[in-house]
Amino acid sequence: MKTAVKKQPQIIAPDAYPQMMSKPNAARAALTLRSAQVAEKAQAAMEAQIPAMRAAILGYVEELEKAQGDMTLVFEKAHEIRGFAETAGLVTTGRIADILCRYMDDMERIKKPLDVTLVALNVSAIGRAARTEDGNAAMGDVVAAELAALVARRLADAGQG
Amino acid sequence: MTGAGFETLKALIVEDNAHMRTLLRALLNSAGIKEVAEAGNGQAALTLLRERKSDLVLSDLAMKPMDGLEFTRRVRNDEQSPNPFVPIIMITGHTEKYRVQAARDAGVTEFLAKPITAHNLFARITEIVERPRAFVRCDNYFGPDRRRHQMDDYAGPWRRKDDFQQEVDVR
Repeated sequence: MKTAVKKQPQIIAPDAYPQMMSKPNAARAALTLRSAQVAEKAQAAMEAQIPAMRAAILGYVEELEKAQGDMTLVFEKAHEIRGFAETAGLVTTGRIADILCRYMDDMERIKKPLDVTLVALNVSAIGRAARTEDGNAAMGDVVAAELAALVARRLADAGQG
Repeated sequence: MTGAGFETLKALIVEDNAHMRTLLRALLNSAGIKEVAEAGNGQAALTLLRERKSDLVLSDLAMKPMDGLEFTRRVRNDEQSPNPFVPIIMITGHTEKYRVQAARDAGVTEFLAKPITAHNLFARITEIVERPRAFVRCDNYFGPDRRRHQMDDYAGPWRRKDDFQQEVDVR
């Protein structure tokens, strides 16, 4: 048996490496980022993107619905949708896509087979939410909550959660 | 006030989704960051980093052929890396704890969960400019100090459990 002395980590202080900006500029930049003027501009910039994002999400939803036999593709499309549905104002769509992704990710991690019916149910709910979300947010919330509960039960049955 | 401090800043967005790239660029522009380059995956971003100085990187996690974790490791650890200290904000819908830990262990500076809001993105950038973190170099890690909380009332030299065992057995 040999012994080795544990090396101490080298700590490099912020002043000892190149910073993103000088300290005076950093203070000004922080003020800029916290300003109401910038918040308004950012909000306007986001709102300008919403029509294009919604159109893209509907495109992903169609691809998701066509991909049902291919679970890798289902995950990829659901992941794209959860990525920016909520930013585009499709809150329920994003929530259900997130529920589906978490379910698929957890089952993959514990090496258990997916319940294809549950996946199909989520895919169907994502499609309906994306196409009708503006009109019935309350119903969408109920559907998302029910699906989350169902997924939680399936994960518990599979020994996860 | 817009643009103060950001006039000369160069940002790089690494994201495979064109809509998300457009959104991130628009948000950076609204804060006055005008010089923004884009790459569709980690491999393309590494090439861009070598060709063009970048002061701030916003990176997605899941991309092909090179994902955001490998990209971050390469930026931090490659001998050819043009700036191993560049701040990297990882922006992803993969918010599971083990993925957040993987991002932290790869050397990201900040983690931002999708869906993105301007407030959350700007809060991460503010954190980077106001409170730059020390870097740590040890046998199996190089990157920002992963200890986010300072224990002001702690007087001892060690904090890790195995710090108490300075000499480790090697068989």
